[in-house]
Amino acid sequence: MSSSGPAPPGTPQVKSLNCPSCGATLTVRSLGYAVTIVCESCHCILDAQDPRLQILQKFKAATDEDPPLIPLGTRGSIRGTAYEAVGFQRRTIHVDGIPYSWHEYVLFNPFKGFRYLTEYNGHWNDVSMLRSLPDVSPGGSSLTYLGETYKRFQTAQAGTSYVLGEFPWQVRQGETAEVSDYISPPRVISSEKTGNEVTWSMGEYMSGRDIWRAFKLPGEPPAPIGVYENQPSPLSANVKIVWSLVALFLALLLALLVASYSMARDEQVFEQSVEFNTNVKSEASFVTDVFELKGHTSNVELTTAAKVNNNWIYLNYALINQDTGHAYNFGREVSYYHGYDEDGSWSEGSTKDTVTVPSVPPGNYYLRVEPESDYNHGTIYYTITLKRDVPQASFFALGVLALLLPAALITWRSLNFEHLRWAESDYGGT
Amino acid sequence: MIRTLFLIYGIAVLATVGLAQYRGWSLNRVDEVLNVPKSVRDNPGSYRSVYGSYHHYTGGK
Repeated sequence: MSSSGPAPPGTPQVKSLNCPSCGATLTVRSLGYAVTIVCESCHCILDAQDPRLQILQKFKAATDEDPPLIPLGTRGSIRGTAYEAVGFQRRTIHVDGIPYSWHEYVLFNPFKGFRYLTEYNGHWNDVSMLRSLPDVSPGGSSLTYLGETYKRFQTAQAGTSYVLGEFPWQVRQGETAEVSDYISPPRVISSEKTGNEVTWSMGEYMSGRDIWRAFKLPGEPPAPIGVYENQPSPLSANVKIVWSLVALFLALLLALLVASYSMARDEQVFEQSVEFNTNVKSEASFVTDVFELKGHTSNVELTTAAKVNNNWIYLNYALINQDTGHAYNFGREVSYYHGYDEDGSWSEGSTKDTVTVPSVPPGNYYLRVEPESDYNHGTIYYTITLKRDVPQASFFALGVLALLLPAALITWRSLNFEHLRWAESDYGGT
Repeated sequence: MIRTLFLIYGIAVLATVGLAQYRGWSLNRVDEVLNVPKSVRDNPGSYRSVYGSYHHYTGGK
């Protein structure tokens, strides 16, 4: 932002003059403060401080080549102060031969002086001049201003390609300046170097909707495209909130885990050792003695430990309520194979299997067991053990996953937002 | 907004885990059958569960 700084407050003077080049009427809204005026008709840049409006420059541009989104003369309120749009310029940088242009609006209040708005691809910044110099780090990769650190984002040669209205500095079409942006969203500090003069300004991100509301503009603002350099991430604050809540809930989940393990009955209610002779082709099914499941509706954990050696046994189980006839059917296989080949020793399976039967009401139960295996493989010895109300770690693991998953998703989206931001930087970012 | 939503979500997760623990939920699948006759105790072979046709693993490496 090239500027000589805000003018001292005073009484506004609005005056109509005539362009000395084309004779068109010029409405000067900041007379006494403006340094240059651009005729909208013939694009002559005039010396506003000269009573004869000396022509300083004349450039070729089609009328309405680049109409301002905020028409000059529009009044609005920025942070509680009334301003009038008095000047407009388009500035362009070239990156890898590709031109990128943004727009700057000069706002004027006779008591507050000048203020600026910038717009690029639907992203807006409210800009004012810095009152003190920032502290630039050695190498210039960052700067500090009022205790806040700003990271260097971009440096480029910006050229003024189109001007309109009134300016508090000697504006020229075609003038260039080296501009550097340092960001700490939602703020950006920009330096503009022209010759030996460096000016500093600070911008704060604003949404197009806020601008439209401030100036009571008709219609809808242009939708912002992409992620802008100092656009605040809508997710970064959420990330901190969500992870602090995740920590809280994980602590509560751990407390619940400890409470569950300490309060669960985890009581063995039945155990029976059985022999299954596979050499006999007869009905192998049997029922156990009746046992009582106490307490509230809860799970039953059944463990089958079988002495299988390169063999298998399959057991059809039915846990039957003696009084109601309500049965829980399930089948479990216990198989264990091992051997030795060219790759060395190997083994598969296990001699033990555990299954949890969910939500079994209290009552008197028995098991109907029907073993199966290959014929003529000798006798298989196995033991059936039942336990009541056994804590299940699997649900706590699922609980941890359920808490981490949305937090991870929000974090990923936030990181992606920052990635998109820094993809536009010359310096890559962090 | 996100704080409230995640608070509700976290409480729901804790409540679900607590309920699952209290009621003894399980990830294992079992089939429930009603009104199994009392005669099963006298004649276990008369009852066939749906798992009777399970395809057994007989392999090894």
